[in-house]
Amino acid sequence: MCAGITLAWSELPTELIGRHNLHRIALERGGEKEVRFLFRDRRPRLPIWRDGRLQVVRWGNGRGQSRFLPRTGWTWQSTIDEGGWRNSGAIPVDIPATLGLERGIWYRVRQGIRGLLVPDERGIAVVYMICEPASHYYQVMTRSDRMPVLIQERI
Amino acid sequence: MRTPTAVGFLDADCFYVSAERVRDSFLMKKPVGVLGNQGACVIARSYEMKGAGVDVAMPVWEARAICPEGIYVKRDFRWYEVLSRAMLGVVRDISARVEYYSIDEFFFAVGPMPGLSFQETAEAIRAKILAEVGVSVTVGIARTRTLAKLLAKSAKPEGARAMLGRDGETALLADRPVTAITGIAGRRAKRLLPWNILTCLDLARADRRLVRDLLTATGEALWWELNGEAVQPIRPERVAHKTLSRGGSFGESTLDPIILYAWLVRNLERLIEELEYHGVRAGRLTVWVGYKDGQSGVGQANLAVPADRFDLLLDVARPCLRAAWVPRVPAARMQVIAEHLVPRGRAQIGLFDDPESAARAEAVARLKREINLRHGRFALRSAATLPLAAIYKDNANGYDICDVRGKGCF
Repeated sequence: MCAGITLAWSELPTELIGRHNLHRIALERGGEKEVRFLFRDRRPRLPIWRDGRLQVVRWGNGRGQSRFLPRTGWTWQSTIDEGGWRNSGAIPVDIPATLGLERGIWYRVRQGIRGLLVPDERGIAVVYMICEPASHYYQVMTRSDRMPVLIQERI
Repeated sequence: MRTPTAVGFLDADCFYVSAERVRDSFLMKKPVGVLGNQGACVIARSYEMKGAGVDVAMPVWEARAICPEGIYVKRDFRWYEVLSRAMLGVVRDISARVEYYSIDEFFFAVGPMPGLSFQETAEAIRAKILAEVGVSVTVGIARTRTLAKLLAKSAKPEGARAMLGRDGETALLADRPVTAITGIAGRRAKRLLPWNILTCLDLARADRRLVRDLLTATGEALWWELNGEAVQPIRPERVAHKTLSRGGSFGESTLDPIILYAWLVRNLERLIEELEYHGVRAGRLTVWVGYKDGQSGVGQANLAVPADRFDLLLDVARPCLRAAWVPRVPAARMQVIAEHLVPRGRAQIGLFDDPESAARAEAVARLKREINLRHGRFALRSAATLPLAAIYKDNANGYDICDVRGKGCF
């Protein structure tokens, strides 16, 4: 599954960079600065669009910070469709991304990835990346059987 | 006074990557690889990725290891064709004789533009393509096709060079290995080795009769070209095909004969489209299968009567696949090749053809064509291809490099 994304430095407001110390996870590629959000980070986070505002929130519950939320960073589209998140207060959000990372392969993402934002028992916003069965191309490229649900894009 | 003319050669720099950058400026200056073979291999890479050591045809997993910052994008031949034809249009504005050599290479007759030297003309053409299409190209202008191509290859990327004098040509040829000439690869280069012919200049200075003996008439033509005699014409029209083929990599290798058969049927249906487009029938069919361990298998059969009908060709292709099949070895790629092509109107009619069944098969083929024309390529296809549902689901697999028509070579 998609273990990270990048967002171009230029797409992040300075205030957000400062508040979340994003310069610590910034790197350069081809002379352009980008921020890398990885699930393996000590504090995994993801950017999301919510109510027309770009925010940075906790990515999943991999470290078990919540006793109630699933201990992962991803959720199946089919789980959502089947009502698995009903009554959890979950809302769909967009995760902006310029690149996705899967098993060391960086691939281009044109718009972003679908996400699901849920509050934990303390009211802290947590985002899960929504995934679906991998397309044949994605499976061959990354050897992964699941892929993120991309916004208005199918690879 | 007659305007002097020369041969121009235009070659896009890492074309597929440049094409992706035209519509996605984010990829500029970054190490980018375009993936083919359903995502398995790098089929084009940017100069940044090339610099890291990634080769064309390298599996994505190897490329990842040596270029961990590389960005991978999916191939899109529909888009590449749009830009290729736009480049062709620009070159046709400049020259009345243009050969569409490959998707990103063009030969053309060229004289100096008004008020410009040949060198300035090469630079002007490069700038025009960049301004009008957005693709970075290299242009070479020389006395012959072979020299123009060698010159352009030596000036890549973003180069523009004109060379019409012997002194410059000698330096160019001395600097290039003989394998830099299109048409001289491994086996031919090996034949030249005992004669100490290592560089292009060695070949140009070798005895013409010796070159003919070693490399046949094709080699002799190259010899003339290297010595500044244009013997290979620019062909504005594509020469009629001697063979037609369809196939390629499976992406994932397979041991399953049902999947192998599905690929055979897919390739055959694509081949029939091509036979119909060119208005020819096949007199011989070859099925070639490449295996993961490096071996290959071939099955070949002549048709009693040249055909372009699915049922007749499949009857021939099936035993060919059986002959090419190596059990218990994963198969990785396949080509289905039609030879002994006969124009449709001149094809012989079989003595034992049942006119009724022929008419029925023709009607089915017509219906299939019409449905696919209206509802999309492969909307109606043989049920034998069902194991390849994932391949058909991906729109990118519906259009390949070989579907870009009119160009001289792959």
